[in-house]
Amino acid sequence: MRKFKYFIDYDKEEKWLKEMANKGYQLESVSFGYKFRQAEPKDTVIKIDYRIFKKQEDFIEYCTLFEDSGWQHIIGTKSSGAQYFKKMDHNSDDDIFSDKKSRAGKYKRLSNMFMQMAICYLPIFVALQTTGAIDIEAIVDPKSLYYTQGLWEMHGLSFWRAFLFETPFAFFRGLVWLVIPISLISFLFFSYKANRLYEKTLN
Amino acid sequence: MNRNKHLPLTETTYYVLLSLLEPAHGYVIMQKVEELSNQQVRIAAGTLYGAIENLLKHDLIQSVKGEDKRRKTYVITEKGLEVLKLDFERMQHLIRVTERLLNK
Repeated sequence: MRKFKYFIDYDKEEKWLKEMANKGYQLESVSFGYKFRQAEPKDTVIKIDYRIFKKQEDFIEYCTLFEDSGWQHIIGTKSSGAQYFKKMDHNSDDDIFSDKKSRAGKYKRLSNMFMQMAICYLPIFVALQTTGAIDIEAIVDPKSLYYTQGLWEMHGLSFWRAFLFETPFAFFRGLVWLVIPISLISFLFFSYKANRLYEKTLN
Repeated sequence: MNRNKHLPLTETTYYVLLSLLEPAHGYVIMQKVEELSNQQVRIAAGTLYGAIENLLKHDLIQSVKGEDKRRKTYVITEKGLEVLKLDFERMQHLIRVTERLLNK
């Protein structure tokens, strides 16, 4: 079963995954949504850390340390960021963090990552703007995006057919650049949200 | 007085440095800290990983060659030892001054 959800708050995500496990859905992967496998309802503790590793050996060392202390690494790769751990037995610690500062640290790393993404998108946006690739007028006058000759003089079925046929092209012609500023703003927003969570967890 | 910028160490950091007077890898550090603190301090994996990363960054510990490829071995550096001793002196002073004032 697949579920589509997006969490920025790992504590909420951990709680939701716990509820799902209690209902008999064991987490299998997190890439395109959350993929669950049906299983016996089971009390499962999943904890999430956020870390990106420079070297493969550092990643292996990290996973080994968690596994030595009773937390099985279930999902995540060297550069995926989010790392999912499952509590292996009752003897393991209750959490993967034992102080506030490190518990909050994952949000700081997440916030920094979004900020870096935003900074990467900024020059693209500026380049589009300065090269004139962004046509602000098209928003005010979307008609200018349609190139079919005599389109606006057509009537009835022939108009709609031509209009609807060209609409996707017109859309791409005029608005595809919007992806960049929208992403830029989303990254800034998520960075801000993650930083709020950092401060909240710290205090 | 110009105090060392690493002082005061947190309890976690202090115990980690103390347990690295001899070379050890992550999980051994966790066990040693628990033992040294009479089971009062338990460092969870995520917290310890961050602490090790931070100590490495400040050159207070270093990684040494070990046989285990999956577990890196660490040991305290000269600088780490110096910081540990300075913090020890800081706490000794705290103890002396507290004793004097409480037993007045």
